[in-house]
Amino acid sequence: MSRSLSIYGTRRALTPILIVMVGFLTICPVAMLLLGSFSEGLGAFGTFTLEKYIKSYTDPELIDIIVNTLVFIVGSALVATSLALFLAYLNTRSNIPFKFLFQIISIVPMMIPHILFAVSWALLLNPSNGLINLLLKQMFNLEHSPFNIYSLPGMILVEGLLDLPVAYLIIAPAMASFDISLEESSKVCGSSNLRTLRKITLPILRPAILASITLVAIRSLESFAVPSALGMPGRVYLLSTHIYRIIATGFSADYGKAAAVGMSALAASITLIVLYRHLTSEREKYVTISSRGYRPALIDLHGWKVPLFIIVALLCFTLIVLPVLVLLYTSFVPYSMVPSFKAFGMMSLKHWLSILKDPVSLLSLKNSLFLGIVGATLGVILTFFVSYTIVKVRTPASGILESLSFLSFSFPGIVIGVGFMWFFVRTPLYATLGSLLIGYIATYLPYGIRPLTSAFVQIHRDLEESSRVCGGGMFYTLRRIVVPLLIPGIVSAWILMASMFVRELSVSVVLSRPGNEVLAVQILRFAEDGLWGKLSALGILMILASTTLVVLASIVGTRLTKLRGEREGV
Amino acid sequence: MEIQIKDLNKNYFSEGKTITALSNVNLTIPPNKIFTLLGPSGCGKTTLLRCIVGLEMPDSGEIRIGEEIVWSKDREIFIPPERRGLSMVFQTYAIWPHMDVFDNVAFPLQVRNEPKEEIRKKVEKTLRFVQLEGFENRPATKLSGGQQQRVALARALAPEPKVILFDEPLSNLDAKLREETRKELRSFLSKLKITAVYVTHDRIEALSLSDTIAVMKDGRIMEIGTPKEIYFDSEQQFVVDFVGRTNLIEGTIVSIENDGPRIKTPIGEMACQKQMAPPIGSPVMVSVRPEFITVKIEKEEKGRNTFRGKVESLVFIGEAYEGEMRVGETRLITKIAPTFNLKEGDEVALQIDPKGCTLIRQ
Repeated sequence: MSRSLSIYGTRRALTPILIVMVGFLTICPVAMLLLGSFSEGLGAFGTFTLEKYIKSYTDPELIDIIVNTLVFIVGSALVATSLALFLAYLNTRSNIPFKFLFQIISIVPMMIPHILFAVSWALLLNPSNGLINLLLKQMFNLEHSPFNIYSLPGMILVEGLLDLPVAYLIIAPAMASFDISLEESSKVCGSSNLRTLRKITLPILRPAILASITLVAIRSLESFAVPSALGMPGRVYLLSTHIYRIIATGFSADYGKAAAVGMSALAASITLIVLYRHLTSEREKYVTISSRGYRPALIDLHGWKVPLFIIVALLCFTLIVLPVLVLLYTSFVPYSMVPSFKAFGMMSLKHWLSILKDPVSLLSLKNSLFLGIVGATLGVILTFFVSYTIVKVRTPASGILESLSFLSFSFPGIVIGVGFMWFFVRTPLYATLGSLLIGYIATYLPYGIRPLTSAFVQIHRDLEESSRVCGGGMFYTLRRIVVPLLIPGIVSAWILMASMFVRELSVSVVLSRPGNEVLAVQILRFAEDGLWGKLSALGILMILASTTLVVLASIVGTRLTKLRGEREGV
Repeated sequence: MEIQIKDLNKNYFSEGKTITALSNVNLTIPPNKIFTLLGPSGCGKTTLLRCIVGLEMPDSGEIRIGEEIVWSKDREIFIPPERRGLSMVFQTYAIWPHMDVFDNVAFPLQVRNEPKEEIRKKVEKTLRFVQLEGFENRPATKLSGGQQQRVALARALAPEPKVILFDEPLSNLDAKLREETRKELRSFLSKLKITAVYVTHDRIEALSLSDTIAVMKDGRIMEIGTPKEIYFDSEQQFVVDFVGRTNLIEGTIVSIENDGPRIKTPIGEMACQKQMAPPIGSPVMVSVRPEFITVKIEKEEKGRNTFRGKVESLVFIGEAYEGEMRVGETRLITKIAPTFNLKEGDEVALQIDPKGCTLIRQ
């Protein structure tokens, strides 16, 4: 009921300034995309024409592309959600051993860049020289490769695995929190475990399952790594790669047509987000969270224990170990060959040396590190003030800010990129790192806001107000009370943004020009040219770079947390 | 320091509705006394406190602390909380979890950039005063509720303010600790020359702690007085009801004698001492607190203001029985010593002290 007062000049000015900044970041690309879609081209901006819409929507290929996209997003949503259900059930409800593996499955895969994960599957299962295909051909004297990852099912499998952690993080808490007595009463009535699962557990979890399906669908709609690394070689085009094809291949890039197609990708993503919001707000009605603190009796798996555990361990292996292993192996062998004594004998540092001598690869490494460090720092500063305003100021204006800052959530990166392209081409920022910096922060703003708002919510208003009454001004209070209490939130927002930025692909494929190449785009180029060895070496460097940033940030975070406990100046 | 509040108004807008938090509040808080704002939740007492300290801005009016105007709508003056030089103890204590006890208490002194040696001395002195010496290096998260409460008090006292504000500081303590802390607080505050403004909804806290009580309702000050005046002499039904249990009996004035009016009520004629009364024939409401009704096992009515009744119910509440007596159709709540031998259905005589009968303004 009571609002914090916002009389002070600085504090009063803060909200409008932030609204302008966040508004620019989120509205600008969308508005430019809309304007651009009605324009002749980047050079002839502002002259109204429907030509681009007519051209792109009468394209006979578009029907196939839309069908492909639908199959892809629905397929990967189902794969990820059913795997997540399986894992969450085993973890929360059964006596399966080594439960820490589930913790790893839910977090670690997020640290492997999607483009590398996709490429590592191409290295294993591509039809011409995929390692597993080669191996099977050798073993069974086959003429043709048995698997082709460059296909819709292959893409669905890989995207499903990539989005598994997201689905798991939605399903597992819901599974863990619902009232076990609902199940127990079913068993008392004489149902078996399986029947209880089918008739009681799954229906109660329906909202969580639907939310997970929708969220994974959103993620795969905006996904660019899998469609580009696995779809394009097999000529399976989705909306995102279709847009990419319009601007990046052929003789002349048609940004007007890209914008016109982008409008439907945007519309699809907004529809899905609205659906997701609706589902998550409905959720509380269904999930019955029990406040009683006892753990439910675990279901004994008996003979199934070992086989099920092997499946989980295998999943863990394919999600985390395999991609890195494949990349490492490929970076040392001269060309794709099945691991053998011969292969190990031929290993060399050839690809590594060529990468370290390649000026473009080194530049992309430098650029990505710069974008990661500077971008995440600027991003955290901005999201810090935005979160502060959203949580602590709570005026109608801060409500506007909140809606604005979550607007960009899951807009497909390539669409945001095209929108910004229309803007940057008119500014000196075109083809600079600055344009990438702005594009990144705009696209990933919600990733910083989420950890920071939840950290702010935990700081009781009284903690700040008592400092004010004690004589501390607004900035003194921020420095001595708010920031120290927020360090864990700030660090996790920084880590999240930095690792997103180091691996960023979908915004970059549009905005990156010669001179401001970034790692993921360079890796995509290598993939397009089939330079697997160089790609793998650069990929390993990318993983190292992003891991180093994460580790450094965590160390700084722990240091600061310790320091803040010590007395100031005494 | 004296605090003067003139014509203070404050409205909130929430979901399209206007909620009046303060309505024309005029108040003078005397210096160096304990002044309590008492009222049910939502009566505006916390809003008033927050306006005084500067965490909330009124819509109109003026607030003066000592000689200084800290808020005035007409003169466009607003002094932010950090420059008002007040201290406040929050309901949640607001102990900063990332600091130890020393830093929490030293904070207001550090803000003022006092020399370190000075700060150390003052913190030490204050901690001794609240009986927390030796706790300096204890992390704030490793304190019990009662200790946190003292740290909050120490932090408020450390800068030696002229005014200290309390926002329901005892409501998070359990019943026994609350009682002890209340007594302690009273003795701490009476040792210091300090103006204390205390907000609570707990009548016992207000009655036992305060020099002056202001009872609030719906954003208005209903009545101001000493605890005894508020408890015994209030003529307002809301105040009488809020500060303690009471019996309300409707009646009509039949005569006015030298020692007070006589009132015709459903239980018989009652004598009421000490009051200025409305003219004969006016309808009135008589309030009698349970402790002014003496229960006797006598069949015959004797003396003035004695009525025959029956024990309707008896509830043992520890230090006493709470007895409901029926006189005709009227039920009266009484307090009976636990040793008194009574059972439900017994015939009793109820003697009402004329000094305990108050007329409610209607």
